[in-house]
Amino acid sequence: MLNRLRFLSTITFVGVFGILGHSIGLASDPPPADEVGASVSARIYQVEGTLPVDDPNSSQWASVSESEFKLAPQVHWPERIQEVTVKSVKVKGLHNGQDLAILVEYEDPTEDPQDAAAIEFMVGDKKAHFAHGQEMLQVEGGPVNIWYWKKENGKALDMSAKGFKTLTAQEKQDVKATGVWEGGSWKVVFSRALRTEDEKDVQIEPGEWRNIAFAFWDGAVVDGLVKEKGSQKAVSSWWSIRAEPTADNSIFGWVILGLALAAGFEFVVIRKLRKGQSA
Amino acid sequence: MRGPIASGAILLVGMFIFLKFILPLMTAPLPASLIYLYLALTLSGIMIFGTMSASSLESLMGPIFRFLSGEGQSGVGRTARLAVLVLFPLLVGWQTYSSLAPSDMPPGENRTIHPAPPGEFVGLANPYQNNEANVNMGKGLYAAYCSPCHGANYDGKGTAAPGFNPPPANFSDPGTIAQLQESYLFWRIKKGGVGLPVEGMPWKSAMPRWEVELPDEFIWKIIMGEYDGAHQSPRTWEEEE
Repeated sequence: MLNRLRFLSTITFVGVFGILGHSIGLASDPPPADEVGASVSARIYQVEGTLPVDDPNSSQWASVSESEFKLAPQVHWPERIQEVTVKSVKVKGLHNGQDLAILVEYEDPTEDPQDAAAIEFMVGDKKAHFAHGQEMLQVEGGPVNIWYWKKENGKALDMSAKGFKTLTAQEKQDVKATGVWEGGSWKVVFSRALRTEDEKDVQIEPGEWRNIAFAFWDGAVVDGLVKEKGSQKAVSSWWSIRAEPTADNSIFGWVILGLALAAGFEFVVIRKLRKGQSA
Repeated sequence: MRGPIASGAILLVGMFIFLKFILPLMTAPLPASLIYLYLALTLSGIMIFGTMSASSLESLMGPIFRFLSGEGQSGVGRTARLAVLVLFPLLVGWQTYSSLAPSDMPPGENRTIHPAPPGEFVGLANPYQNNEANVNMGKGLYAAYCSPCHGANYDGKGTAAPGFNPPPANFSDPGTIAQLQESYLFWRIKKGGVGLPVEGMPWKSAMPRWEVELPDEFIWKIIMGEYDGAHQSPRTWEEEE
C-alpha cells in the first residue's frame, strides 16, 4: 500500500507540476518589445483563388491586417536629404500558393509623374546591406532584389544590385505593379510569382522569413526641381516578412494524442486509487 | 489546525511571491525558468518531508487521493473533481498545441551593440588637444553631420531618427559613449555601420562610413564635441603606477 501510494504520488505530482511549470515558463517570458513602437514584421496571408493584383482598393485587402513601418530621410550616403514627404508606410500581403501581392499605402499630398515606390529584398542566404547591398568591410554580403514602380509609366521594374552604382534592370522582368492615388495617399500593389526561375530574384517560400525594406519618392516639383529623386528618398532599414504557411493539420493529431494520453493517465490513476481504497 | 497539504500549498505560494516579487526589490528579477526550478526544489522538499512515514504520507496524500478517486463525494467536491479531471487533459492538449504551432514571431536577432573593434583601432589616442576651439569646432561638425540622426541634444532623437532600426545611439545615456574609449568612437565614425563585424549586424545600420567624406581631423574633433555636448567623459585605462 505504502509503495503504491509513493509511486502514484510521485508520478501525479511530477506530471502536473511539470506541465504547470512549462506553462509558467511560456507565459511569463514575453517576446522582446520592439524598439521603435511600430511593426517589426509584415505578413502575407494565404487566400484561395485570384489575388487583387490590379486593384489596390479591392475588398480582399480589407480582410487582412496591416503592418506599419516608419521611414527616415536617406542620410546614409550622398546625396543625402534631410526632410522627406513620406513618414511611414502601411503594408499588407496576400498569396495563394502560386503568386503573391504586396500592398503599400502611404501619404503623399500630391499626385506627380515622378512619384515612385520600391520594395527591396535580400536574395539568397548571405546578408545584404539595406543600402543597395553595398559592400560591408568585415562581412561578405549578398545581392538585393528591388521592385520599383513609378507613376510616370505606371509599370514595375524588377531590378538587382550588389553595391552602389550596380543597380540594373534584370533581363527577366517578373514583377507587376499598379498604383492608385486618392485623397492624398498612394496605394501601390506589387505582385509576382512566389518562386521564379531567375536566380537574381528573391524566392518567397511560405513559412520562411525574408528581409524587406522600403523606399518612396515624392516627385512633386518645387521651384522647378523634383523634390525627391535618386538617393534623395524616404527609406527604411530591414524588417521581416513572411508568407503564411499552409495550415499543418498534423498538429491537431498530436493535440488529440496528448489529450487522450492525459485522459488515459487519469483513468489509470483513479482505477488504481479505487482498487487501493477498497482493498 | 492545518493539514500538511495546506501548509505545503502556503509554502509554495509564499516561495513564489518571494521569488517573483520580493527578491526583485533587492536584486535583478529572476528568469521564469529559475523561479520554476526553485519551486520544483521546494515541492521536492515537501514531498520528501511528507513521505517520511506511513502516517505523514497518509495525511499528505490521503485527502488528495480521496479527492481524485471521487468516492463518497457530493456537491462542491464533486464539481471540483470533475473540473480538475477535465482541465488536466485540456492543459496537456494546449501545451502540445503551443509547443508545435508555428511561431508568429520573426526570428530573434541578438545584435551586439558594442562589438569588439578591429585591432588597429584599439588604444588610439585623440591627437588633438581638448581645448575650447577644438571642442567648438567638433560641435559645429556634429551639428552639420551627426545631429540629423543623433539629435541636436545628443539624445539620439534627431529628425531622421524614427525610421531607423537599430535606432541611432543616444550619447547622453550613460550606457553608450561613457562606456567607450575615444578610439572606439573613432572606429565607429570612420568605418560606419558597414564596418561592424557580423554580430553587430552591419546590414541594418544606417551609420555612414564617414572616412569617405571627412578627414580624420574632423572625426577626432567631432568625438571631443560629442563628449562635451552629451556631458560624458570617455572611458580610459586606469593609470598604472
